[in-house]
Amino acid sequence: MPPMTDDRTRPSFWRSLAELEGESEFREREKSEFSREFEEAGDGQPDRRRFLQVMGASLALGGATTACRWEKEEVLPLSSRPEGIVPGEPRFYSTSMELDGIGTGLRVTAVDGRPIKVEGNPLHPESLGAASIYQQASVLELYDPDRSTDIVRRQTGASGANWGDFDNWLRGAIGPFRSRRGHGMAVLAEPSSSPTATRLRRQLLSSMPEIRWVDWAPNNRDHEIAGAVRAFGAPMRQLCLYDEAAVVLALDVDPMNPARPGALAAARALTRGRQPDQTQTMNRIYSVESCFSMMGALADHRLALRSGDIAALAALLDARLSARIGARADLGPPQVEPELDLLRTERCSRFVDSLVTDLLNARGRAVVVTGPRQPPQVHSLVHRLNYLLGNVGRTVWYLAEPDGSAAGPGQVSALTGLVDAMRRGGVEFLCILGGNPVLDAPADLDFGAALQKVPNSLHLASYEDETSQKTTWHLPRAHFLEAWGDTTAWDGTVSLAQPLIEPLYGGRSIIELLSILIDGQAKGGRQLVRETHGQLPDPVFRKALHDGVMAGTAWPRLIPSLRPLGKLNLAEGAASSDTLELVLAVDSNVYDGRFANNGWLVELPDPMTKVTWENVVCIAPNTAARLGIADGGRVHLTANGHSVTVTAVHAPGQAERSVKLALGWGRTAAGRIGGATRLGVPAAGTNAYVLTSARQGLVIPEASLRATGERTLLATTQDLHAIDQYGREATNARLGMIVREATLGQWLSHPDFAKTAVHHAPLLQMWQPPVSYEGHRWGMSIDLGKCIGCNACMVACQAENNVPVVGKEQVARGREMHWLRVDRYYKGTPDQPEAAFQPVPCQQCENAPCEQVCPVGATSHSHEGLNDMAYNRCIGTRYCSNNCPYKVRRFNYFNFHLDLEKPENQVKKMVYNPDVTVRSRGVMEKCTFCVQRIERVKIQAKNVRRPIAEGEIVTACQQTCPTGAIVFGDLSSQQSQVSKLQALDRSYALLEELNTRPRVQYLARIRNPKPEST
Amino acid sequence: MTPLVFPRWTNKLRVLAGVLLGVAPLYVIVLVWYGASPKTTDVGYMPKQPVPYSHALHAGELGIDCRYCHTTVERAAFAALPPTEICMNCHKSVRTESRNLLLVRESAATGEAIRWVKVHDLPDYVYFNHSAHVTRGVGCVSCHGRIDQMPEVYQVKPLSMSWCLECHRAPERNLRPPSEVTNMTWKAPEDAVVYGRRLRQRYAINPPTDCSTCHR
Repeated sequence: MPPMTDDRTRPSFWRSLAELEGESEFREREKSEFSREFEEAGDGQPDRRRFLQVMGASLALGGATTACRWEKEEVLPLSSRPEGIVPGEPRFYSTSMELDGIGTGLRVTAVDGRPIKVEGNPLHPESLGAASIYQQASVLELYDPDRSTDIVRRQTGASGANWGDFDNWLRGAIGPFRSRRGHGMAVLAEPSSSPTATRLRRQLLSSMPEIRWVDWAPNNRDHEIAGAVRAFGAPMRQLCLYDEAAVVLALDVDPMNPARPGALAAARALTRGRQPDQTQTMNRIYSVESCFSMMGALADHRLALRSGDIAALAALLDARLSARIGARADLGPPQVEPELDLLRTERCSRFVDSLVTDLLNARGRAVVVTGPRQPPQVHSLVHRLNYLLGNVGRTVWYLAEPDGSAAGPGQVSALTGLVDAMRRGGVEFLCILGGNPVLDAPADLDFGAALQKVPNSLHLASYEDETSQKTTWHLPRAHFLEAWGDTTAWDGTVSLAQPLIEPLYGGRSIIELLSILIDGQAKGGRQLVRETHGQLPDPVFRKALHDGVMAGTAWPRLIPSLRPLGKLNLAEGAASSDTLELVLAVDSNVYDGRFANNGWLVELPDPMTKVTWENVVCIAPNTAARLGIADGGRVHLTANGHSVTVTAVHAPGQAERSVKLALGWGRTAAGRIGGATRLGVPAAGTNAYVLTSARQGLVIPEASLRATGERTLLATTQDLHAIDQYGREATNARLGMIVREATLGQWLSHPDFAKTAVHHAPLLQMWQPPVSYEGHRWGMSIDLGKCIGCNACMVACQAENNVPVVGKEQVARGREMHWLRVDRYYKGTPDQPEAAFQPVPCQQCENAPCEQVCPVGATSHSHEGLNDMAYNRCIGTRYCSNNCPYKVRRFNYFNFHLDLEKPENQVKKMVYNPDVTVRSRGVMEKCTFCVQRIERVKIQAKNVRRPIAEGEIVTACQQTCPTGAIVFGDLSSQQSQVSKLQALDRSYALLEELNTRPRVQYLARIRNPKPEST
Repeated sequence: MTPLVFPRWTNKLRVLAGVLLGVAPLYVIVLVWYGASPKTTDVGYMPKQPVPYSHALHAGELGIDCRYCHTTVERAAFAALPPTEICMNCHKSVRTESRNLLLVRESAATGEAIRWVKVHDLPDYVYFNHSAHVTRGVGCVSCHGRIDQMPEVYQVKPLSMSWCLECHRAPERNLRPPSEVTNMTWKAPEDAVVYGRRLRQRYAINPPTDCSTCHR
């Protein structure tokens, strides 16, 4: 861990939101943190009464008048309660969320008229019941006090304009454009595959054909679509059936990253092939990438290669495979084997040999896939490889892109054209629907400056962000949980989206704004969506709304004919051997920056680096040593003529001579968490968009790095390096006991390796356990072979249990409050590591060290095996946390909810789960196995005198996990899934040698690298 | 250094001081123990409600069952206060001009809620579930007392944790057949504890005393 310095040039940290919002207030509160309570004891009204009462002659003087009671509580029943609504009980509604044009079906829990928790929709093909970090955190965004609440009209400087004013203005302003068929008007929109938005767009463009419509997203699919057009003559998208694949090759892509479409389904399918318990077989995953991703961690073989060099590797593969498979005239000539030294290293040769052999053995049962970072030619080549291997029609299918959305030269091109037109004065009215182009358009276009030349512009956005500060109108946008809509999944399945709450600030959705643009009528979202699906009779529509999916809307799977490809241009995009490549990628947590103000996501550790609250540039340790860059050192990173100062991190597994930096940070108009110049809040992280350019993609072949000599304190939840050499050795020696894994061959020859990995004395006990488990016995099994490290469980737990966000400085002190953490362990050497993930919740030990030391009995063991926590009894000695060997107990060092006292922050209260106590300062908390869910089901079952069914109780982490790695259930039944999993030979308990008898057991991870002998 | 010398008259106070020093802590402890216990502070709490609704009239004289208004008590954790439309079921034709019912009529007309004051208020960290009790045979009167005789509702039982635990540890004293839950005057046909034990066995009533039963 980098040493703490009092480096004054580092960004200023803050302890809590309270500190951010009122520096002086916080300082005052800080000073009187404890003395205030004592002061109140003397002067406060209730205590005077208490004093009187105590001194009162009669002990029965309590009661009505002088009773020392807490504040009176009011109950406000609805005046008219809709049928079926039960106050305080949750209701579940299906809806869906779209991210850059791909929708995922969700099921959202609403209590008393407000949504509080998002889950996946088991009926939706993208979700299959799981939800990613973006979907879980979306509910916090709904209640963000920094969301824009008003329409802002910049010309007149007036706020307090309402929609009526805007509608009137618009009718006047759009008139001239209507008569000119839209000439001079432009629309810049987030990509959307919503059927309603598509229908309205067509309607708008048919009435005003000369409107320039541009879709723009920084995480766009330009390369993929261009590659498909090159290969098939028409835009196509690839549908990969990973669960039927024996070999998977991922070229610079992580299909499980939540930024990718279909990530949840891909994760499930990929890990389904990695359960050897029944069949003793597993799939084999090869990953070639520049930066360590979750796919790289899951892979059995990983090669770290610069993104720009992967094209050469793909050409090599094509040459080798074609040589063995033979000529295929219908697919055109193969690539010539490139003559490159980097492909001749021993490591690379072994990797390629192994890969080629496996792919040849798995013809028709393999998947080759690549991602948005790779140039179009690599995409085309990957399509060819799939055809060559006979995968198409078996494990790989193609779907035709829907009309209109993917036609044309690509989003970057279209955006460049738009900006040129804006600069020329050719755009008089620009409508920006969602997105944030001033932030994320390629920097060399200088969208902000071009925007100044547009006399009238409007931005429909959830926040008054960087773009809204430059447009003439800012219109508050309805959150997807507040609006009607519909979405299309990757495979074409249509899902309706319904609001769970009226727009809190009267915002409108994109489709509602489009409706006004079309004909000036402010039609509601519901009507617009119903009209899109007008051919469906009402009962069918209602069923689709209830289920969250429209049956039978998936697109047909196709096998298009492949065009012959020309020779790959290997110079394109490849850096020369002595320059540094820079890879820019949307951040795994804040995406393209739209979630930069979402506390849950900003404080969520990055899956690989475990850094929170900022983005860091990942450098391979060898490269860093050569450039003299320390771990945690500040560096100047220069690319495309611009330079940023950012913290560097030694990232094991990063390709040499390639560095990676995430986009989406360093915002100036995000809010109190992400950064807002207007509020005096420093930006979290560094804005990497300034390094982008329209000419190049997000892989920049030539960049440079220079150490500034300064270091900074990183808020990581897991140290990258041990304290010292001795510590590192001791840690590494232990890791094999904590994360137990073996290859397939090792497991087959020693099936119980996991149980015998640690030699220890027989685990005896001197006394009889005080609790006998006659009823339910709750337990959990976590399959390390399925955990991909996506952290969705962490956000789900945070949402379900009202876990607070603590701020960067507290995280740096190790005081993050996540009840469930996902540890990431590296194995091997720093330049060729493997990685493993391990989710660690409270282990609910039967022989709990924490229960034995609590001086006040705040934590006790229930008769069902749970380690209960009574917050009101805790006095904060922290002895329990001290004694816990797993360090899963989290302490509230501060009252992290003090900011709720401010009136503008009251809206944040709406996100809390009413079934879970909101903890104040001085109280210990920890994972409870979602005891509120357990009790709810138990009570419901007992009320009607029925037994609890298997799978009826799901913890929050279990429900959201895309791979099903976490299984909770009743150990008292032999038939329950958790019992069966804990009975497997590869099941082991963490630190069992300490005789804690945890109820959580882990399934050792089995890898499937190619055996040495073959 | 001069020795610490008290004035002579303090000698007389030595004994008194000694007694006070011994007795005062005991006195304070006893006062707090009894004075600050929920039996003192909560029992008898009778807040003023916005509408002078009389349970004695409606539940007592008119005999309306508890569940007519508190409709969710058998299904949910909260025994929800009735929405205004339930009041209006009768009061759209009964006493339509009454001044006491002005707020009720306003609420029905405007959709604004009536701001009732909660009488039986547990701390926020306690999660009590009505349905678990009502469906098992704990009568309304066991915790809420003779509501049907109260013109204004007041709290009869302390609702403290020890009071809840007393019943959880020996529920047979407070059990009745589930069909008699809203019967305010029900008496066990025989000795209440013996009858309760039989009910307990019949309905397999085993109230948990784990912390997580109420504290989540």
